[in-house]
Amino acid sequence: MANRATYTSGIALPLLVGGLALLCWEMAVRVFHVPVVILPPPSRVMLEFFGPRFAELLQHAVPSGLQIASGFVFATVSGILLAVLMAYSVLLRAALQPYMIALQVIPKIALAPLFILWFGIGFSSRFAFATFICFFPVVIATLTGLRDTPTEVLRMCQAIGASEAQVMWRVRLPFALPYVFAGLKIAATMAVIGVVIGEFISADRGLGYLILYCASRSETPGVLAAIAVLCAIGLSLYGVVAWTEQRLLAAQRGER
Amino acid sequence: MVERADYVTLEGVSKIYNPGPAQVEAVSQLGFSVRSGEFVSILGPSGCGKSTLLMMVAGLETATTGAIHIAGERVERPRLQTGIIFQDPTLLPWKSVLDNVMFPVHIQGLDEAQHRARAMSLLQMVGLTDFAEKRPHQLSGGMKQRVAICRALVTDPDLLLMDEPFSALDAITRDELNVALLDIWQRHHKTGLFVTHSIREAVFLSDRVIVMGRRPSRIVADVRIDFSRPRDVHVQESPEFTRLCTQLRDAIESQHG
Ligand SMILES: Nc1ncnc2c1ncn2[C@@H]1O[C@H](COP(=O)(O)OP(=O)(O)OP(=O)(O)O)[C@@H](O)[C@H]1O
Ligand SMILES: [Mg+2]
Repeated sequence: MANRATYTSGIALPLLVGGLALLCWEMAVRVFHVPVVILPPPSRVMLEFFGPRFAELLQHAVPSGLQIASGFVFATVSGILLAVLMAYSVLLRAALQPYMIALQVIPKIALAPLFILWFGIGFSSRFAFATFICFFPVVIATLTGLRDTPTEVLRMCQAIGASEAQVMWRVRLPFALPYVFAGLKIAATMAVIGVVIGEFISADRGLGYLILYCASRSETPGVLAAIAVLCAIGLSLYGVVAWTEQRLLAAQRGER
Repeated sequence: MVERADYVTLEGVSKIYNPGPAQVEAVSQLGFSVRSGEFVSILGPSGCGKSTLLMMVAGLETATTGAIHIAGERVERPRLQTGIIFQDPTLLPWKSVLDNVMFPVHIQGLDEAQHRARAMSLLQMVGLTDFAEKRPHQLSGGMKQRVAICRALVTDPDLLLMDEPFSALDAITRDELNVALLDIWQRHHKTGLFVTHSIREAVFLSDRVIVMGRRPSRIVADVRIDFSRPRDVHVQESPEFTRLCTQLRDAIESQHG
């Protein structure tokens, strides 16, 4: 019974709403005779995946996907490492924390052109930029989590003679896990944004490039199809993060 | 009762938090001692420095003045032969009950098999054998605190410090845990320092009850409790028990006047 209820509210209901929205869109476009260049109906966008455009979409999805994934992974690893170091060292924390917060707040997208200047127009500039904008949410979330371990638990650890390293790996990090994953979910969406911005500015491949290319030729269905692929990539990454989180939390609860 | 040597001694112990204009003198020139195998409770108004005192004995806070010695050695850092039970069970939510009890053993790299058997027998003593593989979130508050007791005892410490370990529990669970603690105590013969707000609990468990006055704290009463051991719940019905409770209540209330 409960399962059925979650199925209805968790999967069936959103699908129904999505389907209805697409239907309204389709009808509105047809009833009001909106030109395809302005807004093609969903069915027209769908056609892109069955024609010659499909190969083109795949070909551009590969470099974008790789850059998104590699930027995200690199930012995750280095971000968690830096947060651990900052949690260890009062000095490092005092020195870096204000900048971490400042950098979190500034519109990092404005810095994208600089990355092109520094790293060229190839893979590395977009990888570096995606890493750069994913990095801060990971550091800040992990650090918040690492510093959130209950004081009495830390005292208990001290009392039984645990070393700093033991406390970090066996107590602080497991306690921080939900925070880390909250940071990773933000980072997953940021990675997509970072790569697309990079491709908008200068690239000869990738979905961002394809969007600009199609737009310049008024091929609106192509633009929307490329956006749909980007959404799929972003959602997959987010899904992997959410799935890993579920698995780890279930293991923590003893539901292996 | 056999006279035993002083085991824990405090001499002229003070603690000043935040030295400077906004300083708080939590403990002031306190001195007393606890003999080996003795169970001493500390009663006192809220904020009089009981937790601070216990943390200093634990080596988790340093005394601003004075010295604390345990078994002749000066306390400067946490000592592995001291077990502590906090007000909060401080269990690690992702570990099973057994792994929580074994946590100090794993941290200190002690013999696994030997301590595992000990952990299981401690869990049996507090009636949690069937819960060894459960996680803390599947346990009631009283059960969690029992696990914390087992964890504090697994490495066989000679001194046990307890800071209001049962104050978050309901009266019935609390009575149950008092009996469990008394039981463990009578079997293991450790030295104990127990902070509580409950006069009955203090009289029931202790060989001696110390009443602390308002901040800056001093000792306003030091009362021996001479019920023979092993004790059971029925001592609580004796007139002597009631008399001791009244005496201690008067000592505490003399503070407010
Ligand atoms: N880390 C700290 N920094 C500054 N002041 C503190 C600190 N810890 C305790 N104090 C102060 O020291 C005094 C004694 O605190 P303590 O926690 O030892 O009291 P307590 O007797 O345990 O009280 P309770 O019965 O409410 O637990 C209080 O006035 C408290 O505000
Ligand atoms: Mg206290």
